[in-house]
Amino acid sequence: MIDLSGVTKSYGPKVAVHGLDLRVPAGELFAFLGPNGAGKTTTIKMLCGLLFPTSGTVRVGGFDLRTDGDHARALISYVPDQPFLYEKLTGREFLQFTADLYAMPPGRAAAKIDEVIGLFRLDEFVDDLTERYSHGMRQRTVFAAALVHEPRLLIADEPTVGLDPKSIRELKTLLRQLADCGTTVFLSTHTLDIAQELADRIGIIDRGRLLGCGTMADLRKQASMDGNLEDLFLAITKEEAAGV
Amino acid sequence: MGTELPPVADQAGLFRRLRGRLLRNGLRVALEQGRTRLLTLAATSVFVAVFTFAASNYLFNQLAKANVPFKGMIVEALFDVLFFTLGTMLVFSTGLILYASLFTSPEARYLLSTPARADRVFATKFQAAVGFSSWGFVVLGVPIFLAYGLASGVPWYFYALLPAYLLGYVLLPGAVSAALCLLLVRYMPGTRRQFFLAAGAVLLAVGGVWAYQVAAGLKKGFVTGGRELDDLVGQFDLLRSRATPSHWMTRGLMAAARGDPTGALVPLAQVWSNGLLAYLLAAWLAARVYRSAYDRVAGGGGRKRVYGASALDRVMGGLVFYLARPTRVLVVKDFRTFRRDPTQWAVLLLFGVLMLLAAGNLRQYYSAGLAVLDAYAVSLMNLWGTAILLCAGLSRFVFPLISLEGRKFWILGLTPVSRDQLLWGKFAFAATGSVVVAEGLILVSDLVLGLPWEGVVLHALVVAVVAVGLSGMNVGLGAYLPTFRETDPSKIVVGFGGTVNMVAGLGYLVVVIGVMAVPFHAAQMTRVAGGTANPLLYAGVPVGVAVGLAAAVLPLRAGARALRRMEF
Repeated sequence: MIDLSGVTKSYGPKVAVHGLDLRVPAGELFAFLGPNGAGKTTTIKMLCGLLFPTSGTVRVGGFDLRTDGDHARALISYVPDQPFLYEKLTGREFLQFTADLYAMPPGRAAAKIDEVIGLFRLDEFVDDLTERYSHGMRQRTVFAAALVHEPRLLIADEPTVGLDPKSIRELKTLLRQLADCGTTVFLSTHTLDIAQELADRIGIIDRGRLLGCGTMADLRKQASMDGNLEDLFLAITKEEAAGV
Repeated sequence: MGTELPPVADQAGLFRRLRGRLLRNGLRVALEQGRTRLLTLAATSVFVAVFTFAASNYLFNQLAKANVPFKGMIVEALFDVLFFTLGTMLVFSTGLILYASLFTSPEARYLLSTPARADRVFATKFQAAVGFSSWGFVVLGVPIFLAYGLASGVPWYFYALLPAYLLGYVLLPGAVSAALCLLLVRYMPGTRRQFFLAAGAVLLAVGGVWAYQVAAGLKKGFVTGGRELDDLVGQFDLLRSRATPSHWMTRGLMAAARGDPTGALVPLAQVWSNGLLAYLLAAWLAARVYRSAYDRVAGGGGRKRVYGASALDRVMGGLVFYLARPTRVLVVKDFRTFRRDPTQWAVLLLFGVLMLLAAGNLRQYYSAGLAVLDAYAVSLMNLWGTAILLCAGLSRFVFPLISLEGRKFWILGLTPVSRDQLLWGKFAFAATGSVVVAEGLILVSDLVLGLPWEGVVLHALVVAVVAVGLSGMNVGLGAYLPTFRETDPSKIVVGFGGTVNMVAGLGYLVVVIGVMAVPFHAAQMTRVAGGTANPLLYAGVPVGVAVGLAAAVLPLRAGARALRRMEF
């Protein structure tokens, strides 16, 4: 589903992502980890077609984001760390707009809107203007909109920020179910517990370079140590900082 | 081999429905929660329109009654200049709004991560930007032409064609501006500073040569009694050329006024066809370069600049020494934000330099004994220029300050500064800065002109009253009519609250300068008052000072009350 080949992205003299090669097959839940400024958000923005690589190619569902971006983006849902909602639309109107934007047939759209309203418990406020929503309500609405058009790839940047423990639990279950049903989930997070608990594979990026990529077992082997993901993450990024 | 192609939405219809829904919901909220504000805004717009209509009607009637020779040519020239000026302003304002909404708004980021087509996103933003930047054009333009029509007894189709002309005319400058904005962002060299300096130098050089030629034409005209006025008129050939859109407007409307429907329809077709073609070209360009331009803006680049304290910050802090330290810190914070944004002060600097150049240049005329342009007339013009510059500058930079604090108000809420102090701090910042700048400008230009000391002192006082009053109005109304949802200051300024503030400011200028300075200048220019010592000439000064105090205090009190009640 995701194919990044030799991707480099520079901001002027600063190289944010350096020669990144990464393939994520359909139905995989991939966790993308790294310290602040490691290049995670830049990579995600290239996956959505918001940024273009300085060199290399980014493909989603076989479509090149540079040359065939509109088709690629039709397969994607992106939930950024600071999600956007139209303040003067109700949650339901925003869900309808999203369904229409992705050209869903009206009957199917109506059914899916009802389904995500129930799934994310939006009933109580879905007909209020979103300008009155709390952060948690906004986050749940954005997730509902992200899933209403049944994307083939869900990209989420720090999705649990601002959610209460119950909502986090529900979100984790949902993400796992989505992946099990064939949706590819690309998850960027600093919450290592979630990554360890949910991810099929984990990628660790630091200073624009992919330092490690694989299952927990692969990462343990690479770091030559046992332990949880936090230990592995610190060991791998420390090695890089030390120039090993 | 790609995945099967997903279905494509009717995006034009989708975005049209979205805009309609946003407008409907916004109006409903405004009616439910802020009826008084909405009525105030509507009443202000009506007031501006009625005032413009009355003033224009009077002038056109005078022109007709006085049977001024070549009055048709005069009106035509006035319309040419009016459309050219408005068109130029539309180019700049639309470009600025479009840049913010296409490249820095959260909505643009959201839409660009969806299958929304780049040209469709552009079209939506373009329509919003043109609407934002041109509604003032309609509020001011329609009454002028209605007044002209009534004074001149034009046929009915003049009125019928008027909206079509005005609507058509906003398309072309808007589309040109949009195309320039896209091209600049996409292809501007990495060395932006050098690029802007070079572009500014070229513009200044071209403008300077043109201004010199106009001035030379004026001078020759006055010295030789009129034959060389043709030279002067020749300098405005560009505005009157058949290829200039502003002249199509003038030509068409004048033809409609004369009762020549064919002559009116051809320029209308020119306006619309060229506007639509320019829009199509801009949309075509957007389809090709918008996403890569966005990538370029988001990518940033260039050398990392290190920001630090400046001696100017200490000067600003010193100028408001009388404030409590926490308020002083806020004043310096506002000043630092201002000086670090060249787009804010560069325009003021440019206007200031141009005014001083004009003062220096015009001195030559009255030195040569030209009664019509004597020092009093020129200095009154300078006073107006300085006051309007202050009005525009404060409306643009000070009015949005409270609105822009909205999203980070919780930070200020945690500091040991009360909301009243916050407001007074912004007032101190605005009043100090504007008094320093305006006094400097008016004193230098009066001294260049060699105005007698009575005039210099009077101007210094008028400018101080104008600066303090406008500062109070901008800060007070900025707190009374804030727009916390908007992060783009240029949109805050052209919104309803900003327009109310701008109009109130212009009205205030008329009153203060009218009562404080106009009697003195009128007497000197007509030489009927027997010198500058007549105390009656200064009778309006205390009235102006009282109006100035009221203009500063009343909005500030209203703003402070509103700010105290606000919940963030």
